Amino acid sequence: MKKPKLLWLQSITCNGNTHSFLNHPELFSILSHFELLYHPVLETAHSLEDLNAKRLTCDILILEGSFKKNGVKKLGIEVLDVVEYYAKEAKHIITAGTCATFGGMFKTYDPENISGFCYDEEEQTSRYEMYASKLISLPGCPIHPKWLSYVLMMLVYDKKIPLDTMHRPQELYNITVHTGCSRNEYFEWKVDTKGFGLKEGCLFYEQGCQGPYTRGSCNKILWNDVSSKTIVGTPCFGCTEPTFPKTALFSTKTNMGIPAKMPLGVPRRAYLTATGIAKSFKIKRFEERIITYED
Amino acid sequence: MKIKQLIEKIEGEAELDFTFKNGKIEDVQINFGFYRGIEDILVGKDPRDALVITPRVCGICNHAHLLASVRALENGYENSGIKVKISSKANDIREFTLACELIQNHTKWFYMTILPQLEKLLKEQSGENYALKASYLSSKITKALAIFAGQWPHSSYAVPGGVTCDPTYVDVMQAQSLIDESIRFFEQIITKVPFEEYLAQDSLNSLHEIGGDFGRVLYLMGMNNMAQMGYSYDRFIVFGTCMFSQPGKSMATTVSNVDVSYVEETLQKGSVAKAVNYKQKLYEVGPLARAMVAKEPLIKSLHKRYKDSLITRVFARVHEIALLLDYSKNLLNNLVLDEPSCTLPNEIPLTEFEGVGVVEAARGSLIHKTSVKEGKIENYEIIVPTQWNLSNGNVQEKGIASKAMIGSLTTHEAEFIFKAFDVCSVCTTQ
Amino acid sequence: MKIADKKALKRESIIQVSLQLFSSHGFHRTTIPDIAKKLGMSVGNLYNYFSSKDVLAKEIIKYTSEVLGDEIRAVNMLEISSKDKIEKIVTIYFTMAKEKPEMIEYFLRVYLSHREVFKDGCEGMTCVSGFITEIMIFFDDGVSSGELRNQDFFSAFGLFMGYLGGMVFLKGEEILPHSLDDYIEDISRNIYAALKSE
Repeated sequence: MKKPKLLWLQSITCNGNTHSFLNHPELFSILSHFELLYHPVLETAHSLEDLNAKRLTCDILILEGSFKKNGVKKLGIEVLDVVEYYAKEAKHIITAGTCATFGGMFKTYDPENISGFCYDEEEQTSRYEMYASKLISLPGCPIHPKWLSYVLMMLVYDKKIPLDTMHRPQELYNITVHTGCSRNEYFEWKVDTKGFGLKEGCLFYEQGCQGPYTRGSCNKILWNDVSSKTIVGTPCFGCTEPTFPKTALFSTKTNMGIPAKMPLGVPRRAYLTATGIAKSFKIKRFEERIITYED
Repeated sequence: MKIKQLIEKIEGEAELDFTFKNGKIEDVQINFGFYRGIEDILVGKDPRDALVITPRVCGICNHAHLLASVRALENGYENSGIKVKISSKANDIREFTLACELIQNHTKWFYMTILPQLEKLLKEQSGENYALKASYLSSKITKALAIFAGQWPHSSYAVPGGVTCDPTYVDVMQAQSLIDESIRFFEQIITKVPFEEYLAQDSLNSLHEIGGDFGRVLYLMGMNNMAQMGYSYDRFIVFGTCMFSQPGKSMATTVSNVDVSYVEETLQKGSVAKAVNYKQKLYEVGPLARAMVAKEPLIKSLHKRYKDSLITRVFARVHEIALLLDYSKNLLNNLVLDEPSCTLPNEIPLTEFEGVGVVEAARGSLIHKTSVKEGKIENYEIIVPTQWNLSNGNVQEKGIASKAMIGSLTTHEAEFIFKAFDVCSVCTTQ
Repeated sequence: MKIADKKALKRESIIQVSLQLFSSHGFHRTTIPDIAKKLGMSVGNLYNYFSSKDVLAKEIIKYTSEVLGDEIRAVNMLEISSKDKIEKIVTIYFTMAKEKPEMIEYFLRVYLSHREVFKDGCEGMTCVSGFITEIMIFFDDGVSSGELRNQDFFSAFGLFMGYLGGMVFLKGEEILPHSLDDYIEDISRNIYAALKSE
């Protein structure tokens, strides 16, 4: 059986998704299922020139980076022109990263003219109609390598991937970054962490953590197989969401002390009632440091 | 005769315009195409947002950008009278994670650029998938980094006053075994020399004992005259304090002080990349520069015979992997966990300050300058190492990398010399 | 009528009667037998609904909190300005103080003044959450629309509720010359002036 042809094209990007994927522990076993036509750093049989000359055909197109209608050229040819050529005949289009999916970081340079491939933040672009039927959105800044390998392997085994209304795989994005965070107990009992640098305490109330309302698997499929932002005390910045990046990322926006944004799907009254009750109790274990080092 | 060549897979692309005369390269102009605007994106933002935005300059050296931006903030606070005292624990953790990123960078450059390109140039293809080795070591070393920093790429775990993590010995031991694994890889695959023995080398005489993939590269380069090509101006500069050196510049072997306030950026015609100079002169940055300024014995020895040739430059970068692995191991051994991770509160009541942060990134000195007014970033400058090495120079003096390519007979050979500088296109076009 | 509904009604009438007796005779002097007698039910039967006087005390505060909370929730749902909402909330509070004085009195003279009764099972704001949640929502809406100034919750809460509670207390002590209704306009204006954004 012929291997599906895989093409990885870049537009306005930092290469973060490329390097994240390169970290996959089973990278080459996964790639062995494909004929890799072009990739930003791995050796491939074809060059950028071959790509631009539109001499190739591809089955699966991976896009990295945000898009501008014109003004982004390689070898004198508009990148978007080349991308759309391959997008038309590809059987599957995967937008890898928040830039390619929603616009992301590089959209903020020129918000009027730069967007994701099929989405401009939450709005559909003019390209959506044409490519929606074969689109898989993998937002993240960058993506986790196993999110991409999951999609690729599902395609190899010809399995249907359950997608949500924005074409994101439900199995990856229907939970929040909050799911599985090592600080969950502190969230449950509303114990803030004061400042940074402690493993104790929740980062949601003051340090700007967007985990409870950000779709992603970061605390379930750990980063680099071992960690995550919130595990090491860094707040989640909501990088998988169409709104990334927001501003004042290290502070929680509150209205009279009430978080401006509620956990995903949780009504305000429910959250405030539960919070009020939890806050009324002082659980000794959660007020203490977990480990004591003797001199 | 003029030839245009697009160089790919250098963290993006660059266009080289070669001018040949009498069969040799007489001049090279290096141009970059698309400006992505991170410096502009930063304007108007909360000063701490730089910790999230600047890593997005680059997918392979984002951690260096994070550290440069946090140092710029801390420097800014200090300039405004706030005392910033980072615990030795936080400092060591930052040094450790930075070292991991450098090791990852050099490894990828070695296995995904240098080895395959050299084999191709010399028609000595071994057929081995070197990228597999790069991916293996990279995923191990970035895992060690992620234990403290949360993730790689794009961590933002360094904040003013220290770091956000609060590791336990479980974390430290896990990181320690990952470093040990990486050292074993260096010993058994890269050099086929026991690590302690490798580090003990201090003269050229022991170099022929290096086997493995590094030995292969040295052999191929030696047999093909590469000790006689790639010479530049033999001028080096280092602005960051790193594991074994203080900032300084080295004109051949004469070392003197530097002051980052004399660094100047200028626009270049035909390229979105800015040129950069120090007191109107161009300098090389990177592992060779660091070794020269630090007077590292083995590199000094190599330089004595081969000057700043291609072989010295390549050697210095691979050699730095060993130094960094040793450094990382020591940092973990000496890590004191019972110290505060972060000594500043989250909110600092400062609405106006200016600061400079310098880091020795994989490819050389990285400088961030932040200027804050009314609580928002008014101006932000990022000067990356590749700008130093790839500035086009002028009529009087060619650029560092350009000079190294002058005299080459083919564009393929020039391309290899070019890539020995470890170019990062995305950084240069931020 | 279903048994469950009958029980709910009975429960409510116990609470109403208790409130009246606490108001007229004082909290400590009123006993469970007193309440049972007034209702014409056996003491044993009353204990089926509330297992002790302390439990009854806590359930009453939750009940009054819900009643007040429901009325404020109705105001929060209206599409009117925070300024107009303030006036409506003040009106609700003062109307309740006029028509069901035993409820507000219970809050001021029993809940706030006998903390030892409530310390187990009514920690912090657990038992008044019905009411507190609605005030939080009122503030959240006001700040996110830009009409109210963003500040610490308790500073704003203390100003609003402390003011209203104080006025009702003064009325109860028969110090205020006029009926509470007469003060609604000025008090609403003062509260708005203090909370609005600059």
